[in-house]
Amino acid sequence: MTIREKGYHHWDGQFLERRHPWWPITRLGIRLTFKRKFFKFIFSSSLLPAVVFLAGIYISERLEDFRGMARIESLLLNISAKYFGAYLTADFLLFMAVIILVFCAAGLVADDLKHNTLQLYFARPLRKRDYLLGKASVVFFFLFLLTLVPGLLLVIFKLIFSGSFRLLRENPWLPLAVLAYSVLFTLFLTAYALLLSSLSRNGRAVSLLIFGVYLFSDMLFNILYGIFHSPYLGLLSMRTNLKLLAVPLFGLKPPLGLPWGYSAGLLAAVVALAAVVLVKKVKGVSVIR
Amino acid sequence: MKAAIQTDKLSKWYGNILGLSEVSLEVRPGITGLLGPNGAGKSTLMKILTGQLRPSLGRALIWGEKIWNNFRLFNRIGYCPEHDSFYEQTTGWQFLTGLLRLFPFSPAEAAGRAERALATVELLSDKDRLIRGYSRGMRQRLKVAQALAHDPDLLILDEPLNGLDPLGKRRIIRLIKDLKNDNKTVLLSSHVLPEVEALTRDIILIHQGKILASGDIHELRDLIDSHPHIIALRCDRPRELAARLVREPFILKVQLGGQPDSLIVETDNRDRFFSLLPELVMDMGLAVDEITSPDDNLQAVFDYLVGK
Amino acid sequence: MSAAGRVYTFFFQLGQKSKRTKFFFILSLLPVLLAAFLRLQQALTLSRRNITGLFFYSNVVLPFYVQFLLLMLALFYGTSIVLEEVEGRTLPYLAARPLPRTSIILGKYGSSAALALAMIDVGLAASFLVLNAEQLGDLSLDLVLLRDMAVLDLGLLCYLALFAFLGALLKRAVLFGLLFCFGWENVLIYFPGLTQKLAIAHYLKSLIPQPPSSGFAFLRFNLEPSPPLTAVLVLLGLTAVFLGAACLTFSLKEYLFEN
Repeated sequence: MTIREKGYHHWDGQFLERRHPWWPITRLGIRLTFKRKFFKFIFSSSLLPAVVFLAGIYISERLEDFRGMARIESLLLNISAKYFGAYLTADFLLFMAVIILVFCAAGLVADDLKHNTLQLYFARPLRKRDYLLGKASVVFFFLFLLTLVPGLLLVIFKLIFSGSFRLLRENPWLPLAVLAYSVLFTLFLTAYALLLSSLSRNGRAVSLLIFGVYLFSDMLFNILYGIFHSPYLGLLSMRTNLKLLAVPLFGLKPPLGLPWGYSAGLLAAVVALAAVVLVKKVKGVSVIR
Repeated sequence: MKAAIQTDKLSKWYGNILGLSEVSLEVRPGITGLLGPNGAGKSTLMKILTGQLRPSLGRALIWGEKIWNNFRLFNRIGYCPEHDSFYEQTTGWQFLTGLLRLFPFSPAEAAGRAERALATVELLSDKDRLIRGYSRGMRQRLKVAQALAHDPDLLILDEPLNGLDPLGKRRIIRLIKDLKNDNKTVLLSSHVLPEVEALTRDIILIHQGKILASGDIHELRDLIDSHPHIIALRCDRPRELAARLVREPFILKVQLGGQPDSLIVETDNRDRFFSLLPELVMDMGLAVDEITSPDDNLQAVFDYLVGK
Repeated sequence: MSAAGRVYTFFFQLGQKSKRTKFFFILSLLPVLLAAFLRLQQALTLSRRNITGLFFYSNVVLPFYVQFLLLMLALFYGTSIVLEEVEGRTLPYLAARPLPRTSIILGKYGSSAALALAMIDVGLAASFLVLNAEQLGDLSLDLVLLRDMAVLDLGLLCYLALFAFLGALLKRAVLFGLLFCFGWENVLIYFPGLTQKLAIAHYLKSLIPQPPSSGFAFLRFNLEPSPPLTAVLVLLGLTAVFLGAACLTFSLKEYLFEN
C-alpha cells in the first residue's frame, strides 16, 4: 500500500459559474421572512392603501353610482399623476414599509455576523457584491411588492376602468415615474436597512434601530421646526426627504417649499455611506484581538 | 451506594412530538454514559435533570429531591450545556469568575476557584483573551471549566467532547476519569460510542425517547443471548478447524473469511466456545495468530438493540 | 449578598462594557448637544427668536426623553432581560446556578434599570445645566429638574417592567413593544374620558406640565390629566404588577432554543 502525499492539491477542474450566484441568498431570505409569525398579516395590512386608492379610482369612474360622493372634490376622486404620487408618498405606506423592514431586513446581515456564517458564504464561489445583492434583493422583493406593483396596477386599473388611454396621453411618463420613484424609495430603504443591520450582531437591536431612526428623524424635525421654523430642517426627516423625491416625478407640491435636489443629494449620500460600511463590514475573515 | 439521580416513568413531549417515553433509571456515583443517536432524547433528559424543562409525566429526582425550581440543588450540580454559547464580550477569566460570583463565594474565593478550574482544563494562559477569539476546543474546555469550578458532587455533561480534536478529547477524558476517583457522580452524553467506551463501562442506551438498556457494557452483551456472538480467528488451517467446530451444537455458523487464513464463527454460547477452543488448538496442533470479537463492543450492542 | 444582588452585580458589569450601552449613552446626550447649539446660537445672536432655556428644555429636551429615548431604552433593555439569554443560549448558565428564578429577573431588571436611569438622568441634568446655567441658584428651577427626573425615572421603571414581562412571555416582544408604544399609546391619548387611562404615557403626561400647543403637531391632544398622586401610585402599582408577572412567567415557562 502506498502512502500518498498529504499536501494540498490544486483542483484543475472547471468551475461552472452560476449565472446568478446571489439568487439562492435572496430566495432563502424571502422564504424565511414569510415563515415569521404575523408577517403575512402585517404584509397584507400594508397593502391597504393600495386597496383604498384602487377603490378611489373605481369610484371616480362610476361617479353616477356614487352621487352623494360626487360633490366631494378631493384628491381621492381627482385621478391625475398626483393621485399616484399621493399613494406612493402616503405616510401609512412608509410606516408599513419600515415595519416590513423590521421583519425582513433586521437580521439579514446581523444574523450572519452573529453566527459567523460569512465565512461559509465566502468559502463558496461568491463575491461580496453577490452576497450584498442577494441580501438587498430580499428587501427589493418586498418593497417592490408594496410600491412598484400596486403603483403600476393602479395605473392599469385606471386605464381599464376608464376604458381609454387618456391618462397616459396626458401623462405619458407616468409609468416611468412610478417605476423611478419605487426604485429610488426601495434603494434608499434597502441601503438604510442593510447599513443598520451590519452595525450590530443583535437582530433585536437592529429592529429597534430601524424603527427608532425613522421615528427619531421625524420627531427631531417636528421639535426643531416648531422652534426655529426653518424649512431646511425638513431635511432631517426621512419622511419629508422621501416625499421631496416624488415632487419632480409626479408634480406634487414640495413640502415646506424645499428644493428636491437637496433631498436627492442627502439620500444619495446615505446610500453611498451604506455601501462603504457594508463593503467594510462584510468580510470572510474577522481578526479578533 | 445511593443513587444520585432517579427517574420514574419520566415522559416529556413537545406538542405532538415525544421527547422521552417512560424513562426509569438510576445513576449512581461514578461515570455513567448516556448514549444514543441525535434526537434520541439525551439532551431532553439532561435539560430535565438541570431544571430547564419540566417533566410532562413521571418524576425526576436528584438526591431524592424534585428538580424544577429547586435552586438549592445547584450548589452541588455542575452542568456543561450542549450549545456553544457564551457571553462573548467577556474574557475567559471574566466569564468564569462572573459565573462563580453567582454562587455565594467571596471575590477572592471565586478567583481562586476560577484559577484552579482554568488550570485543570489548561486554559490559564489564555484567560485574558476574549472568548470570541477562542478556538472551538478552547470554548469547549471553558464550558467544562465552568461546570467544575464550584466543585460539584454531580456533573451533568452534555456532549462534552463535541468539537474537540483528538488531543483535546484525551485531555477531557482524562479529566473526567479523575473525577471518578474523587467520588463524584458524572453523567455524560454522547452519540460517539468509542468515546463513551473509553470513559466508562456503565452505560444507558437511549433511542427514540426510550431506554433500550442500562448497565455494564459487557454484561449487556452477554444478556443478549438470542443474538449470536461473532468471533473471528486467523490460524494456519482454518478449514480443518471449521470442520471440527461445525459438529458442536452451540456453533450456529462457520464461515471462511475473506483472507485465506481467516475464519468467522457464530455461537450462542461464548463461554463454551472459549473453553473448547484451547483443547482443539492443542489436539490439532494449530497455530492461531489472532482471535477477535468484532461485536463485543458498544456499537454492536447498540446496533442490535436499535434493530439495525 | 442576596441572589438578586449577585445577579445584579454580574449583569451590571457586563452591561457597562457592552457596545449598546455606549451607543445609548451617546444618544442620551444628544439633547445636550442641541442645548449647546441653542446657547451658541443665542450667544452669537444668529436667531431673531429669543428662546429661553426653560422653554427649550420643556419643549425639546423633555419630549425627546418622554416620547422617544425612554421608550427605546425600556424596550431594548426590558426585552433583553429574558430574550437575550434565550437567543444567546446562555440561559442554562443561569438556570444551573443556585439562584431562584425570580432573582434572575429582579437582578437583571435592577442592572438594566441602573444603566438606563443613569443615561436618562445624566442627559437630562446636563441639558438642564447647559440651558439654565445662569439660573441654577433658583431653587424652583432646581425642583423642576428634580421633579422631571423623578417622573422620567418612574416612567422608565414602569415601561422596563412591562417589557420585561413581554420579553419573558413572547418571542416577538420587540414588535409588540413597538406596536404598544407607537401604536396603542399614541392612538389612545387622542381619545377622551377613561380610555386615556389605559396608556402608561397618560400618567407620565399627567405628572409633567404640558407645553403650549402652538406649533407642535405631535403634541396636539386633549389630555385629561389624572391627579399627581393617583398617577404616581398607578405607575408604581403597574411596575410592581408587571415585574411580578415577569417573575411568575419566567418561573413557570420553559424556554426552548431554536435549532
